[in-house]
Amino acid sequence: MSERRLPWIIKYRPRRVEEIIGQEQAKKTLREWLEEWLKGRIPAKRVALLHGPPGVGKTSLVEALARELNMEVLELNASDYRRKSDIERTVAVAAKKRPLFRRGLIILMDEVDGLDPKADEGGIEALVNIVKETLNPIVMTANDPWKEQLRDLREYSLMVEFRELTNTQIITLLQRICESERLKCDKEALSYIADKSMGDARAAVNDLQTIAEGYREVTLDLARALLKGREKTLNIWRTLSGVLYAKQAWMAKKAVTQSDEDYETLIAWLNDNIPRKYSDPYDLYRAYESLARATVFLNRSKSGEWALLSYVFDLIGPGVAFARVSGEISGAKYGFPERIRLMSQLKAKRELREKLAEHLARRLLTSKRTVKNEIIPVLTVIFRNEADPAMAARLALGYKLDKEMIEYLAGPKTNDIVKAIEKIRRAKPEEVEDKKPKEDKTTKKKGGRGLDYYY
Amino acid sequence: MSVAEILWVEKYRPRSLDEIVNQTDVVTRLKQFVKERNIPHLLFAGPPGTGKTTAAHALAHDLYGENYRQYMLELNASDERGINVIREKVKEFARSRAPEGVPFKIVLLDEADNMTGDAQQALRRLMELYSGSTRFILVANYPSKIIDPIQSRCAFLRFVPLKKDDIVERLRFISEGEGVKYEYEALDAIYEISEGDMRKAINILQAAASLGKVTVDSVFRVVGMARPREVRDMIKLALSGKFMEARELARRLMIDYGLSGEDIVRQIHREVFSQELNIPEEYRVLIADYVGEVHYRLVEGSDDDIQLSALIAWLSLLGKRVS
Repeated sequence: MSERRLPWIIKYRPRRVEEIIGQEQAKKTLREWLEEWLKGRIPAKRVALLHGPPGVGKTSLVEALARELNMEVLELNASDYRRKSDIERTVAVAAKKRPLFRRGLIILMDEVDGLDPKADEGGIEALVNIVKETLNPIVMTANDPWKEQLRDLREYSLMVEFRELTNTQIITLLQRICESERLKCDKEALSYIADKSMGDARAAVNDLQTIAEGYREVTLDLARALLKGREKTLNIWRTLSGVLYAKQAWMAKKAVTQSDEDYETLIAWLNDNIPRKYSDPYDLYRAYESLARATVFLNRSKSGEWALLSYVFDLIGPGVAFARVSGEISGAKYGFPERIRLMSQLKAKRELREKLAEHLARRLLTSKRTVKNEIIPVLTVIFRNEADPAMAARLALGYKLDKEMIEYLAGPKTNDIVKAIEKIRRAKPEEVEDKKPKEDKTTKKKGGRGLDYYY
Repeated sequence: MSVAEILWVEKYRPRSLDEIVNQTDVVTRLKQFVKERNIPHLLFAGPPGTGKTTAAHALAHDLYGENYRQYMLELNASDERGINVIREKVKEFARSRAPEGVPFKIVLLDEADNMTGDAQQALRRLMELYSGSTRFILVANYPSKIIDPIQSRCAFLRFVPLKKDDIVERLRFISEGEGVKYEYEALDAIYEISEGDMRKAINILQAAASLGKVTVDSVFRVVGMARPREVRDMIKLALSGKFMEARELARRLMIDYGLSGEDIVRQIHREVFSQELNIPEEYRVLIADYVGEVHYRLVEGSDDDIQLSALIAWLSLLGKRVS
């Protein structure tokens, strides 16, 4: 269990240099520079400034190289030690330290471009003084090394450039994780995630985890619905709490009107989280009735009366909040809405049903609605029963049902019916190819009757 | 036996007026029209499965022969009910000249009682304007839903409910034609279930035959199978306070059976008064009332999943009060 809770960006952090995607030039430059130090020679530049966009492997490379070269890493997050005195107390001490047991020591300072020249007065100057004299290699990382305040530091730095990852590289990484997590991941979904990440592997892995933990599968629909913006899930949780824990009606209303999410998304999240949080049946019913009324108003407002939207917000905010009269609320975690997955599955099923209805309605001289309500249930009985699949197979041939339609009608019996069709085809190929079904002698009284005049 | 098969409702559908064995009054009048090679606008009214649509096609067949469908525009108002269909499709067809050798074309408007009011008003104008080249046949279960000005422009033909003998005789005829073994009681049972609807009766017969010999038992099995029992299970889960499980089942019904929210609501409604459901009688009415409300909201276009969730929450609440 604890393993699953681990953020994947940590779980799948590269351990060895070769596990880091791309960045071949940076790998070579940094390795050679560190090897100089290990040989006891102090390079001309005593600090390496690794620069490039976020999530491309800057810190990972330092850690992986240190492991391979058997060096210690002293990690100092520059944003924690800002002022001159802080830097002298920490970095300066480390810089003069003699490495233990002749193991090399790397001083790693992350995010040096995060130093604020005003608030962290003297910080940069202190750093510059240290790097001039350090006895241990200092590695710094920055997203933007061209900031004005880093100008002096740059002079003393070996500049190591990291490139944005390509989509292909990120997809490869995501695929590796999917395999290792035994997740079903659609290729298009991974491609979408990669695209959204804009070359940031960390963001892509986080996104993958967000979807996978919510749904245990990664499809394009889910990816699209969840990744409108990475910050969004946090916001939605805040909105949900704003509604469900509101003390006064205006608070609940504010939570929904000021949310970054649109009302349909809010309704979907409430729909799946109300039963997690409200345990009393009366509260539950009142909350759902309010939500249900909200969808009624939403639907009315969509017909052009947009002023009615205001009532939608009343009902999903205060309406849901004050449905809770028992005072009980569960501490359960919020869950992702099932809706997105539900809708895409539903859509596929309903389209198929519609297609089948359309296919049969004209032949049977009736409406699609009648086909759906009367004919499809009968066909379902015929296609799913335990007896001989022959009748189903012959009907499938008679109405030229395609594989999807057969599957829709037959469910688990699909294979039996497909086999039965094959058997008929093999036995009497010429009759199957013939467009007209056999003459039916029982009803035939006069005139020829073929399907030709039906179409 | 042929290799490819079609549904018996299609296979045994009368193709010409001569083959229609009941509805004698109607058929006599229609044959007269064929003899005169002229028809007025017609309104066929009567319960479902009594042969209205079949008669309309048979009439056209007898007027124009095998290829009658090329002279006919068929619309089903339950699928296309708005005014635009009338303004576009029907008008387009009606205004075009009748083809060579044919005195008029036919517009068949099936389930016309599903047409919206403004669509009917638009239709009324078309019936006047193009009556020279186009005749309309309107088919309806409830003629009262057709506006008076249209009714007054049509010859009214009433289709009577089919008698038990009509249906049982037809079922027997089909069974013999198909070499199906059956019990006489089973055919009676099919008639009872079909409520005089021939289409429904023949469909049940075919489904039962697919299970083997047609017996009373197999007939009821078919009817049960065609109505997923998960709906009942779902109601029971909800009444025992298991909201989450009940909703999961409702969602599965929508996905596995492709049912719409409305379909499920209709089935819930059917179950509410079933004795299988062990609840105080006054609760049945309370449930039906709320089911009706939800049904209305769905018809209005409200969200399936959320309306069903509300209904399930209501059932859970009632269930708690019962216990």
